[in-house]
Amino acid sequence: MSHTNESGLETNEQLSDEQLFGHLSEAETVDLSRRERFERALDAYVLAPGRVAWNDWRTQVGIVVISLFVFFGTIGPRLVTAPGTNQAPNNLQPFHGGIAALWEEGGWIDFGSAHELSVGAISIPGFVIRFPLGADNYGTPIGRNLIHATPDMLEMVVAGALVSVGLAAIFGITAGYKGGKLDEFLMYVTDVVMTMPGLPLLIVLTAIWAPRQAWLVGVVLAIDAWPGLARALRSQVLTLRQESYVEASRTMGIPSRTILSRDISPQLMPYILINFANAGRQVVFGSVALYFLGVLPFTSANWGIMMQTAYSEAHALVNLSNFYQIFWPMAAVVVLSFGLILFAQGMDRVFNPRIRARHAKKVGSDEEQLN
Amino acid sequence: MTRTELDVTHEYSSSQDVILEVRDVDVTFDMDRGTSRVLDGVSFDVHRDEMLGIVGESGSGKSMFASALLHAVVDPGQVSGEIIYHPPDGEPVDVLSLTETQLEKFRWEEISMVFQGAMSSFNPTMKIREHFEETIRAHGKDLEERMAHGRQLLADLYLDPDRVLDSYPHELSGGMKQRTLIALSLILEPKVLVMDEPTAALDLLMQRSIMSLLGSLQEEYDLTVVFITHDLPLVAGLADRLAVMYAFEFVEYGPSEELIRDAAHPYTRALLKSVPSVDATLEDMHPIEGESPDPVEAPRGCSYHPRCPLATEECKQSDPEYHDVTSERGAACFHWERASDEIEYALGVDPDSTVNSSSVSESTEETVVSLDDVDVHFEQSGLIDELFGKESVVRAVNDVSIDLRENEVVALVGESGCGKTTLGKTAIGLQEPTGGTVSYRGQDIWEAKAGNGDYEFDDIRRALQIVHQDPGSSLNSSRTVRASLSAPLKRWRPDLSPSDRETVIYNLLERVGMKPPEDYAARFPHQLSGGEQQRVVLVRALLMSPDLILADEAVSALDVSLRVEMMDMMLDLQEMFDTSYLFISHDFSNARYLTEKSDGRIGIMYLGNLVEIGPAQEIIHDPKHPYTKVLRWATPPLDPDEAKEANATDPPIREIDIPDPTDPPSGCPFQTRCPEAREVCTQEAPELKDTEGASRVACFREDEHHEYWESEPLESETVSLETETADD
Repeated sequence: MSHTNESGLETNEQLSDEQLFGHLSEAETVDLSRRERFERALDAYVLAPGRVAWNDWRTQVGIVVISLFVFFGTIGPRLVTAPGTNQAPNNLQPFHGGIAALWEEGGWIDFGSAHELSVGAISIPGFVIRFPLGADNYGTPIGRNLIHATPDMLEMVVAGALVSVGLAAIFGITAGYKGGKLDEFLMYVTDVVMTMPGLPLLIVLTAIWAPRQAWLVGVVLAIDAWPGLARALRSQVLTLRQESYVEASRTMGIPSRTILSRDISPQLMPYILINFANAGRQVVFGSVALYFLGVLPFTSANWGIMMQTAYSEAHALVNLSNFYQIFWPMAAVVVLSFGLILFAQGMDRVFNPRIRARHAKKVGSDEEQLN
Repeated sequence: MTRTELDVTHEYSSSQDVILEVRDVDVTFDMDRGTSRVLDGVSFDVHRDEMLGIVGESGSGKSMFASALLHAVVDPGQVSGEIIYHPPDGEPVDVLSLTETQLEKFRWEEISMVFQGAMSSFNPTMKIREHFEETIRAHGKDLEERMAHGRQLLADLYLDPDRVLDSYPHELSGGMKQRTLIALSLILEPKVLVMDEPTAALDLLMQRSIMSLLGSLQEEYDLTVVFITHDLPLVAGLADRLAVMYAFEFVEYGPSEELIRDAAHPYTRALLKSVPSVDATLEDMHPIEGESPDPVEAPRGCSYHPRCPLATEECKQSDPEYHDVTSERGAACFHWERASDEIEYALGVDPDSTVNSSSVSESTEETVVSLDDVDVHFEQSGLIDELFGKESVVRAVNDVSIDLRENEVVALVGESGCGKTTLGKTAIGLQEPTGGTVSYRGQDIWEAKAGNGDYEFDDIRRALQIVHQDPGSSLNSSRTVRASLSAPLKRWRPDLSPSDRETVIYNLLERVGMKPPEDYAARFPHQLSGGEQQRVVLVRALLMSPDLILADEAVSALDVSLRVEMMDMMLDLQEMFDTSYLFISHDFSNARYLTEKSDGRIGIMYLGNLVEIGPAQEIIHDPKHPYTKVLRWATPPLDPDEAKEANATDPPIREIDIPDPTDPPSGCPFQTRCPEAREVCTQEAPELKDTEGASRVACFREDEHHEYWESEPLESETVSLETETADD
């Protein structure tokens, strides 16, 4: 079998079928229906990761928390009346009337056919809830305020996290994989941004050019959040690109974008995800802090503004009977960031092939080797 | 202790002198899927002042045995049983019942251990001297006296004490670090030295030198050495006794020469047959069928019965006790008497089969890849160095020319850092040469990449493939075997339907012995053993239908018993896919197996230069370049007679350590170590020249009329590694 004849100078020819199938003709061909193939893909890419994720309590809690916030952020404002001053008595305590309110008339909750709770356009008869979280110094109900602040906050978080992680991923991964002059240039930009003092810059920026839209606030907050992650990702990619399997893919002539998406990104995903959650938290903290400081313009309800009002008007930190006014927005911030972190931690497992293999139905038997 | 007096000494030692008594030691780990028993009721005696070689495949529990001897099993592991240490004077101690503080004193002062990774055993921010002093202080010993001892030890190991003690770990080469570590472990004069694969990460030559040095150290300081390795030929010649581990227990032990000559246990015999060596005949090498057992579900009865050709019902039912082969030897097998007839193996070559290289003619096959005067130099100097005019260039490959033909196997052999991998990557177009040309079927690869070639670069890229050393990292851990194998097909055969792709993949998997293929295809890499991973990698490279595959140490990471199987498979698939191999290895015996079986060539590299190239037979049996002779010396033969002979001779070399590649010697690169070097070698570098045989050698000695013969020999002594000889 001289190879010279078939591929002498015309090596343009691809692998011959004879080469691939010829020697193996004794084996029958594999025939899978479209449906089986689809099921296999579904199992590998959707069901198995889903099962892995759901098997971890952290992901469960994370998903519940995040869904709650998303629910209140999307549908919440439609169901709950917009907050306004003097809708409730000033400095109304939360759960006014205490436990006794459950059976006594008045207080924060009442049952009975005489009552009905109006949720948006619908009314639910049988009970009514009145300002369960209390009201602030001006009689603005805290519950309504919290809920109406959520959509903007979510918008900020998503925009901020996407921009910071996206920029970091683009800069870091490209610089790490491509190397050379491009790497130098990108890292130069990264270093310049990294050296800029974040908070003062933000204050100056927002003072000159006040962002009105929530997503813009998120983007502005993300401006100085990405360089660290970009650097870290670059160093990870630098080691990954030296891995034999990446070199093998390169040798096989597989295009860079496929290598980046198939070979490199999955290894980085746990890291990117946890940073996504972290960036989200940073945006929450940052925006609340800036609103609290009064640097960002007051447009609508916001947890930071609520805390500011509680602090400066109701003296919540001195007058402990008003402490609840600062507690509720703080709780919202803490629970949201906690949920994000738990979710990211749980998702870490989804990208671990060892765990995924255990949950996939159509994967070969799992014989672990003790090394 | 000498070979000839072996029996006498052993009778003497076994009657009274046991230093470590191991009784019924179990090591277990609790895992999710059950209890993993990684040492299974081991009972064994270590004799005083002996060198005991413990041999086994990876995962056979040999490292656990070492850890257990020091009661150093890592945390979730549970040790039970008894390990009694008999000090030369004083009461015996049960190691397993010592408290933490007692253990701290016990380790290093009585028993010390040298691990595999010398590179990570030193703190990179501390000088070597501080490591020594810290150890001495921690044990409250006299600093002056111990340091003097340490200097002596370093000098014994051919190191310059002043230089080494004032260096940081990164300033020492791997071999120097390993020797320093041995000196450090002996500084408190322990009675027992346990070494767990201490040389596995080193070059052959360095391994061999260290082994010889160990022999002399053992004699000088009355040490008991327990040497653990997967490499049977390495210890076979030096150890007094050998113990073979399989599936978490010892299956056979005995004086090494007897054990090698006529092993009693079927596993030992199979292992001896499967080890690639330089002297055994090729037909005699066979892999062991099957796989090592899982520590969680070890088979009932004799643990070897699923792979044993002699297994009977009895073996499946009950676990064999040790049967005394002789008074000094035991084998845990019911059928040991039959084993020697049923499983045959031969040591050494029968004299007829040596050099018949006359048959090797210039191949008429077309050249696939040819390298002409290729240089690859790496600039190491940064901006600051440049400003100060300090240049440091590593000449990884220096002016190498080589032609790789259709269906040919060429092996490149050399020590690490000699540029063989760089040369290989240059040959398949992964590394751009800084000088010379690399061409694929007459087309300069880098011209083609720039777009001025007759060939599409894509086709060249497809034709030149690679198989890496470490199977674990050559597969994307987050993709299944099917996905990994589909990638090359998707790229090069977009016309194939998913079903066709799968057919091809399944057929090939079956072909390489991974059955059922549907099951294997759906697995992730971590669900495969090392050998299976490497097969998948090979299949992936072959799916590109390449003309040349660079196999970079492709079998080095595999277990010894699997290497022959893997190499056979490579040759088998070579015929099927019409491809050539460029096989890179630091191990002469692997290179020899692959090339001799396929009538290939071996090239020897030293410091970026190709110093000798020729047909495998000729290189192995009639090496001409002094460096080739050194490498040949460093490859231990299995045959006890030859091993003894090899141990008795000093290495044909003047210095153990390789010169700094950033500052290569003038003239011939090998002149600093060459025993034959003369004045002229320091001034002029020899070029590859034809010899009487079929090989080409870069040495002046091949030219009878060269001025070399009039030149003055260089003054210096050869390294003399004190080795045990037969007549002391």
